[in-house]
Amino acid sequence: MKDDVEQWFAREILPLEPVLESYLRRSWHDQSEVQDIRQDAYIRVYEAALREKPFNPKHFLFQVARNLMVDRLRRKNVVFFDSFGDFEAIDAGEDLPDLERSTAARQEMNILLAALKELPARCREVVTLRKIDGLSQREVAKKMGITEDKVEHQVSKGVRLLAKSLYGSRMLVVSGARRRMGRLGILSK
Amino acid sequence: MSDHEHIEAQAADWLARLDRGLDDQGEVAFETWKAASTENRIAFIRLQAAWQRADRLAALRRLQDAAPEPRPFLWLKAIAAILIVCAGAGLSVAYLQAHKTAGQPFETAVGMQRSLNLADGTHIELNTDTLIHTSMSSGARTVRLDRGQAYFEVVHDARRPFVVIAGNRRITDLGTKFSVFRDGDRVEVVVKEGQVRIDLVAADPTSTPVVAERNTVVVARKAETLVAIKPQQEIDNELLWRSGMLVFNQTSLADVADEMNRYNTREIDVVGSARNIRIGGSFRRDNIEGFKQLLRDGFGLKIVEADDKTVISN
Repeated sequence: MKDDVEQWFAREILPLEPVLESYLRRSWHDQSEVQDIRQDAYIRVYEAALREKPFNPKHFLFQVARNLMVDRLRRKNVVFFDSFGDFEAIDAGEDLPDLERSTAARQEMNILLAALKELPARCREVVTLRKIDGLSQREVAKKMGITEDKVEHQVSKGVRLLAKSLYGSRMLVVSGARRRMGRLGILSK
Repeated sequence: MSDHEHIEAQAADWLARLDRGLDDQGEVAFETWKAASTENRIAFIRLQAAWQRADRLAALRRLQDAAPEPRPFLWLKAIAAILIVCAGAGLSVAYLQAHKTAGQPFETAVGMQRSLNLADGTHIELNTDTLIHTSMSSGARTVRLDRGQAYFEVVHDARRPFVVIAGNRRITDLGTKFSVFRDGDRVEVVVKEGQVRIDLVAADPTSTPVVAERNTVVVARKAETLVAIKPQQEIDNELLWRSGMLVFNQTSLADVADEMNRYNTREIDVVGSARNIRIGGSFRRDNIEGFKQLLRDGFGLKIVEADDKTVISN
């Protein structure tokens, strides 16, 4: 079951990350907390899916994210300076084309290349040999004349940097006009 | 470092370690780490998905390198990612009496699996589209693999050797768990435990038998025999078909389709440059629809349902 949910999660939820993150950034007052909220939302969605997969994954994810923000505001004992209408961003999210689905293959390659280019030189060399040349990490080590441990270290670093730029990619085309959303703010109490 | 970053760093380290394969101890540690919290698990899935997404960079390889070095048995390599496998449905167990098994056929249709226990305690699992004949006597135990793939867990008996005949090869058990796959004149043996001896059925003074130990893959064709020692993780992946999963690592889509086609009557045909796209991941072998959807959504490939087959192209 878990295996199945993992695949479902990777297929349905992870591609939504750029959209989710920009929604959170627009909606939440403290940018340093956005990643925490995102991870919390992931955990809830994943655990819910272990019981039953939501019919509409995107809607469910955004609903969970919204509820998490409301919970946090309650815990912080703050009130909204704007109305609940701010959360209409959820609906805006509904209108967004799915990242993966609308990304043409060429565009995807550009995103990947841009992510690769951003890596530090040594890391980039490792990732290039591993992913473009298709070598195993052991073969990469041999080719570069370094230990396999060092290659692992670079891969570990590289995968995090890649994830950061791939999920953070803003290259998706958003169709239709988007309303300017107010942020949820703190009105001291 | 925040908690989130700390967990992500751990996940990245695991992902990097998997490439060389984990030993038993490492595997337990990895499973324990993943099971410790949903957050760990998600951090790992998230990084793994990004890492797999970067596999598409392999498409650039053709541009860089006009004549890539051949990697003939690449499809054998399977990812070291740990998969918790749901046992495939549809396994039926048949208990057989020894005296009834002389030359007895056992068959599976395309997409089916079956497992049997022989009276001597030997356990056999048949993969899709497979036909074997078993014959048991007081002096010998022989299974002829007419087509397809079978996994054997043999109860060793020196006085009654257990022999599998596949094409022109004879595989003799020396105390073993192993699988044999016959695809025309190509015979592949995966040894999980113990040893097997592989030789030509027809006596040929120029050929010497090969003894394959555990964690070995042997590919034989005509008179040629290739022996490759693999990490245990890859061997386990080779045998994942037993639980209904297929695992690929940097495998060309053409090879993936060939493998998928073994399990389904409706053929998948990959044409043009899409054949060279390399993919990784694990799939339930009966989830063809999910697989096609993944190719469409994840790779932007065209899926056309023709009368007799599914055509996939760029």
